[in-house]
Amino acid sequence: MAKDITIFTTNTCSYCGMVKRFLDMKGQSYQVVNLDEHPERNQEAYELSGGALTVPITVITKEDDSKRVVVGYNLGQLAPALA
Amino acid sequence: MELEKKDYDLVIVGAGPAALSAALYTSREDIDTLLFEKGAIGGLAAVTDWVDNYPGFAKGIAGLELADAMRAQAERFGAKIELGEVMKVAKDGNLVKLDTTSGEVSAKAVLIATGSEYRKIGVPGEMEYYARGVHYCATCDGAFYRDKRLVVVGGGNSAVQEGIFLTRFASHIDMLVRSQLKASDVLVKELDKHKDKITVHLGLATDEIVGENNKVTKVVGTDSRTGQKVEFPTDGVFVFVGLDPNTKFLDGSGVELDERRLIKSDTRLMTNVPGIFVAGDVRSGATLQIASATGEGATAALMIREYLENHQKTSTATVATLYGEA
Repeated sequence: MAKDITIFTTNTCSYCGMVKRFLDMKGQSYQVVNLDEHPERNQEAYELSGGALTVPITVITKEDDSKRVVVGYNLGQLAPALA
Repeated sequence: MELEKKDYDLVIVGAGPAALSAALYTSREDIDTLLFEKGAIGGLAAVTDWVDNYPGFAKGIAGLELADAMRAQAERFGAKIELGEVMKVAKDGNLVKLDTTSGEVSAKAVLIATGSEYRKIGVPGEMEYYARGVHYCATCDGAFYRDKRLVVVGGGNSAVQEGIFLTRFASHIDMLVRSQLKASDVLVKELDKHKDKITVHLGLATDEIVGENNKVTKVVGTDSRTGQKVEFPTDGVFVFVGLDPNTKFLDGSGVELDERRLIKSDTRLMTNVPGIFVAGDVRSGATLQIASATGEGATAALMIREYLENHQKTSTATVATLYGEA
């Protein structure tokens, strides 16, 4: 189970909406960091994703505080990361 | 995710404008409709910055907003959108079976509206720096390039439109066009208004994307007029060099494709396989406009309704005869 889910998004990113929709369907709550509104968090997203310059970036923190980071809208990675 | 039920009147593969338009019509007529979408609902329209040529929006509309309105309208009448992928389609007697990431699903009719995806250039560095300096979606990733230099590869409508969008962020853009600009006159005029930020290089083939320390640093190309190598220092590359149809999942299905792997259809928008229809950008002969895709979606829905009426009224053998099945 996930203890916390944070999605890094921008205003114009359609795939960010898809991640939100997928999490909604799974009944998972999440926080959103909009990088257009919080550009000071760009570096954090960049480092968490291992150097990706894209959104969505979904950070899933597990009960044991381990993190899974999914770059882009990738159902093949998102679904198992939530398990 | 497993589906609650496995049998539908209609399964639509894709959830772009053609698919959502068809789903609106079929759901509204109580045709049990399920859509599968592996990417963005709204398709390429949803990742397009701004749409100026879709009727009904005098001032234009954001692609994402238009896509969301289409989705909401289809869902309002009961269309269900499953986030998942169809891997295989096969005719099975009077039904169509689909292997999907949500398990096997069966339908009386199938509409393929999978559209296209942006083509890769196929040069060294492109895959290595994917999402780390090489991008195919300006509305997704442009904001990472505030006050940075960019290269846009391509000279068609998408390249010009997305290049103009990227001027919101980039300090300068080099647009590398292999031959001549192929964008519409309207977009070319618009491009000219941004010549302070966008430099267009015609006859410039892209050879390689180069980087160091996990970051793109330059693009190397060849000037076709002189044969000379040219280097463009850059922080990122956005690629818009055309579209490839999403038809790989149809391999082995018997659905006939043309030489560009677009799906052939008859005047009813039905493929050579009875009960499998096609609409939108993935159809051979499509005009690649959102307005025409929605029109095709509506037409396909009406043809599918007629097909389903015959399906219901007649025996398997008669349907097969009616629709030319051997």
